[in-house]
Amino acid sequence: MSAIAIGRLLRSNTSSCVIGCRVNQQNSPLFGEMLRIPLSNGLQIYGLVHEINIDDDGLVRQLVTAPEVSREVIEDNRQNRNMPVEMSVVFIGWERDGRVSHTRVPTPPLSLDEIFPCTASEILHFLEGGKFGYLRAILRNSELPAADLLTAHLRQVAAARQGAGADGVEAALREVIALLKDDYPVLMDVLSAVSEIQ
Amino acid sequence: MTNSSSTLKADNAMNRPIGYVVGGGLKANLFVRLTIPADQVQEGGFVVLESGNWQFYGLVTDLQLGSSDPRYAELPNTPRLSALTSRLLAEQTLFTNLEVLPALMLERGPAPDAPDYADWTRAHQEENRSRPLPIKTVPAHHSVTRLASAGDVAEIFGEPGGANFIVGRTREQDHPVCIDLEKFVQRSSGIFGATGSGKSFLTRIILAGLIQHDAASILVLDMHNEYGFDDTASDTGMPVVGLKTKFPGKVRIVGLGRASTIRNKTPDLHLEINESDIHPEDIELLSRELNLRETTSATLDALVHTFGYEGWFTAFKNMKVGSVIENEDGKKVPAPDSVAYWANEAGANAMAAEGLRNKMNRVFNRPYVMERAGNDPAAPNSLNHIIDALKAGQHVILSFGDYESDLDYLLVSNLLTRKIRETWEELTNAFRSHGSNEPRPLVIAVEESHKLLNREMASQTSFSTIAREMRKYYVTLLIIDQRPSQIYDEVMSQLGTRVSGWLGDENDIAAVLSGLAGRDALRGMLARLQPKEEVLLLGWGVPMPILVRSRRYDQKFWEELQGRSAPRTATQNLKDLGF
Repeated sequence: MSAIAIGRLLRSNTSSCVIGCRVNQQNSPLFGEMLRIPLSNGLQIYGLVHEINIDDDGLVRQLVTAPEVSREVIEDNRQNRNMPVEMSVVFIGWERDGRVSHTRVPTPPLSLDEIFPCTASEILHFLEGGKFGYLRAILRNSELPAADLLTAHLRQVAAARQGAGADGVEAALREVIALLKDDYPVLMDVLSAVSEIQ
Repeated sequence: MTNSSSTLKADNAMNRPIGYVVGGGLKANLFVRLTIPADQVQEGGFVVLESGNWQFYGLVTDLQLGSSDPRYAELPNTPRLSALTSRLLAEQTLFTNLEVLPALMLERGPAPDAPDYADWTRAHQEENRSRPLPIKTVPAHHSVTRLASAGDVAEIFGEPGGANFIVGRTREQDHPVCIDLEKFVQRSSGIFGATGSGKSFLTRIILAGLIQHDAASILVLDMHNEYGFDDTASDTGMPVVGLKTKFPGKVRIVGLGRASTIRNKTPDLHLEINESDIHPEDIELLSRELNLRETTSATLDALVHTFGYEGWFTAFKNMKVGSVIENEDGKKVPAPDSVAYWANEAGANAMAAEGLRNKMNRVFNRPYVMERAGNDPAAPNSLNHIIDALKAGQHVILSFGDYESDLDYLLVSNLLTRKIRETWEELTNAFRSHGSNEPRPLVIAVEESHKLLNREMASQTSFSTIAREMRKYYVTLLIIDQRPSQIYDEVMSQLGTRVSGWLGDENDIAAVLSGLAGRDALRGMLARLQPKEEVLLLGWGVPMPILVRSRRYDQKFWEELQGRSAPRTATQNLKDLGF
């Protein structure tokens, strides 16, 4: 289990949250990566990074127009700026007492709760709790970039499963097709994107 | 691997599900979503649908491609998608549905280890073993569907043996399909198929089965001399063994006309017809053939009135047309031996009578029509010989030899059949009234049936009477024809078992299916049968319609039928002796 937190919670509800990170964290999460948020009541929430925002501030805006910006100034700005890198995370399930559920989380995390990346074994453990039912939360949320998010997520799943000697993403693709087969344009969009990883 | 385990493995493979029910009904047929590749199921497949305590039996009548969205079917995805994605997409969005014509249902009850087994057994304790029933309800959604096993086929069509005669095998699984010969002869039947579809071979197979099982006496009106003696197949040139060769003691070949030969062989009996046996209705049957007028009936009636049923033909034959003499006044008047003289005496129309006399020359001149058979008053009547042989349980093949005209066929066939009808009616009435022996069933196999049973003829001939009424008198027809659309509807509707090979004409297909449930579903199947390989069994005589691969009429068939190898030839025997 990974023990290095990558950030802390800024705000949340039962379907998603926004976490804040320092810019130069070594293990900065990637778009589509699976994260976990352990809560103090024994619950653990799982989610996928679906957006990463780096906002500007007054100093950065001024530095951008400077003819030259030294390395030290850049590093100092990244290390010491007061504005965090914000990462939007969509929740895909939760776990309590070792039992995983791919449904909506019963309670959101609290401010400043730590967030950790999932290892390959944690990803496999989460997947074993269901049959990719959480995909409907992704696919039916029109505000999410479903095709790209799914592609990135399945790439991570494929890597985790191959490492475990299991099949790739066939079960996930079946669930995607089952969920979207009545929506031809969206399904073809998603499948075209997912085909990139095979 | 032993034979039994390989058979069991094959049977288990055959029992695997092929799909599940997704819709349909009793009127519109059932729809089954295939879960195996479509090329593993064919039209005509015999399938079983398992629903609760019931099993439903049906025939695949159509396969339809479908998709959850037409765009998935129209656009091949491979260039845009990976192979895995394309395959998974096709599996879930493209499908094949079977259309199944449901026919029968059978209550199986729950499995022995099911919780309700004990209750069900108690409720059905008094009943005999359940039998298949005509379909009355539908299986549930998602009922598992599989191809019929050997046990299923035997359950419906009977185990081979006894009266259950193997007529073919299921196409996918090669399970034997039987017809009940006892039931087959209870009603008139038909064997249909276009020219070259294997109809004659199929007829030989069924006739062989009937003779071997001795279910009835058979009279074959063999217009083309095909069934009696050995023949040669017209398309392959291979020898075709005749029924006489295989049943020498049971089958008698009758040739039409004195000194007739059939395929250079002498028949057992020569058929000659006494003039006294020809009745007016036999001539009326020939109206179209002889181009007779509407006045024919009146003229014939007058002849019978004058000369009697047994003498009118000879008397009319001996009359002359146009024969005149001079009377006392020097006027020319009809001579006493003229047609006109008789007509004037009898009050018939002279011109009509003369016209009939001229047209009947074709009948008068037939070599096999004798004033007396063999010109000998003491000579036996060969027509009666045939009747007696049939009554005694023998089988008669009447070969027409060199007499190939429609006139010969129509005259002789109808005359013979009329006498048969009269005889069997007498026998049946004697059986019912006086407790005499029950008449032996008789099947009359009629080739080129449309010549005798078309709409114009049917109402007049003995054949249509037999088809309509004679099963009560133990006489039925076996119609063999390539143009069933030309056979009178009323006759077709009386047919029990119908065995059909390939048919190309829409009207012929409609005729074979007339009066049968599910005919719309079966229509396309008849046009897509493989000629000489496949036949469709349907009608009253079979529990449900089924497509079979017909048996081959070959050495193996005879070995299976008669249970011994073929008799050795003289050449083989000499060879064994070292010559």
